[in-house]
Amino acid sequence: MQKFYLPLFLLALVVLEGVALDFIPNISVLDDLLVIPHWLLVFLVMVAVFYDQENTYFSIVNAILFGLLIDVVYTSVIGVYMFVYALTIYLIHGLSKLLHTNYFVVLLMTIIAVGIADIGIYFIYFFIGTMDIFWEEYMMTRLIPTILANILFFLICYPIVKRKLVKWSIVQFDRKK
Amino acid sequence: MSFFHKKRLFVILVGFIILVGLIGFSIRDREELSLVEEFLHDTVGWFQSIVHKPVDFTTSLITNIEGMKNVYDENQVLKSRLSQSKNLLYEVQELKQENQELRSVLGKTESITDYQPIQASVIARSPEASSHQVKLNKGKQNGVRTNMAVITGEGMIGKVQSASQFTSTVLLLSGFDRSNRISVNIAADNEEEVTGFIVGFDPESEFLLLELNAYEVELNGEELVVSSGMGGVFPGDLEIGTIEEVTPDKYGLTQIAYVKPAADLSNMDHVIVVNRLAAQPEEDTSEEEEE
Repeated sequence: MQKFYLPLFLLALVVLEGVALDFIPNISVLDDLLVIPHWLLVFLVMVAVFYDQENTYFSIVNAILFGLLIDVVYTSVIGVYMFVYALTIYLIHGLSKLLHTNYFVVLLMTIIAVGIADIGIYFIYFFIGTMDIFWEEYMMTRLIPTILANILFFLICYPIVKRKLVKWSIVQFDRKK
Repeated sequence: MSFFHKKRLFVILVGFIILVGLIGFSIRDREELSLVEEFLHDTVGWFQSIVHKPVDFTTSLITNIEGMKNVYDENQVLKSRLSQSKNLLYEVQELKQENQELRSVLGKTESITDYQPIQASVIARSPEASSHQVKLNKGKQNGVRTNMAVITGEGMIGKVQSASQFTSTVLLLSGFDRSNRISVNIAADNEEEVTGFIVGFDPESEFLLLELNAYEVELNGEELVVSSGMGGVFPGDLEIGTIEEVTPDKYGLTQIAYVKPAADLSNMDHVIVVNRLAAQPEEDTSEEEEE
């Protein structure tokens, strides 16, 4: 049963992203800003840091699977989220080997991950032509609000999720040994 | 070590090739979704419809409380309008009757404005803002098909981009471009009929771009824009918005009008999918072949 907790949690996040925009208050100041919830990515960063061992790649496999799910369900172009999420989590997975894990390091990794992923998505969409805003405007209206909103999600999520992930990790990898 | 580097590079390159392949597969004009996609849409849609209920309840409760503040003022305004609308109602009824009689005289029963409504609820909005999509809880089983128009009580909000068995995806007006134009009529004061096409959306001003077919048209703003039904996909007389401003286009050959959408595109819960009853010229043959 323990095995299914992680995928179920990720599926729940994908579903919740669909209603995430209902939570944003309807204020005119926020009208021009675009906030993209990358909750799945934020959670996968924590999976990469707290759950994965050095030589296991659960976070990357899940990034591919659930990135593809987001592509199919929420966008009309398949493959963009899958590729960008997988690449970002791969970088974070590599990075987490080098750095000592504490609260601020994970926060920093989250910021880096959301930044890289959203910029990557912007560039791919820009080349395909589905998004036709230019770099400066993109940065002001989308990148910065998106990073801030996802930091907020991280701050809420971190204390709840961290212990769970460490526990699941111990259960998962002890059994294998 | 160099072996691992090569392997890593190889994997990333293969991933990139898969990415390009998938984009190429999904970006071309597809009429139908593949079975796998339909299955994923329906499965996630089922979860979404469960999650959406409590969320919708809370958010609508908050807006209701906010709305109560203005109840008294609104009531005053509405009362004064009531008498006016009564007159209008009689007029409309008379006109409707007359229209029906004239039609029966002509022996013409089908009209381009006829449609069959399918009630649906929004269960999710795409978190990716650039895809301009919302999901509905009705699908092919309820008669929803690709390219049907979607409206709210206020006006048109978009069209069905893809339908799976139990859910469907709507492309909002803000995501429209030249590949899905809407043929429209403009209710101008003079007797001439003014026509045009909605060709896109201006994200900065949040207005629709309307290309007028004739150059020498005098429009002073505030005119109502409705779909004409001549595009062959949507029924006629669906309200789209009001004209805000008219400017010549960048080559000076045509006029571009900025149209303010009548419906609120960022906030809707209950919508109507519109099934056009008049024959659709292009799709008739292909549908018959399939069935």
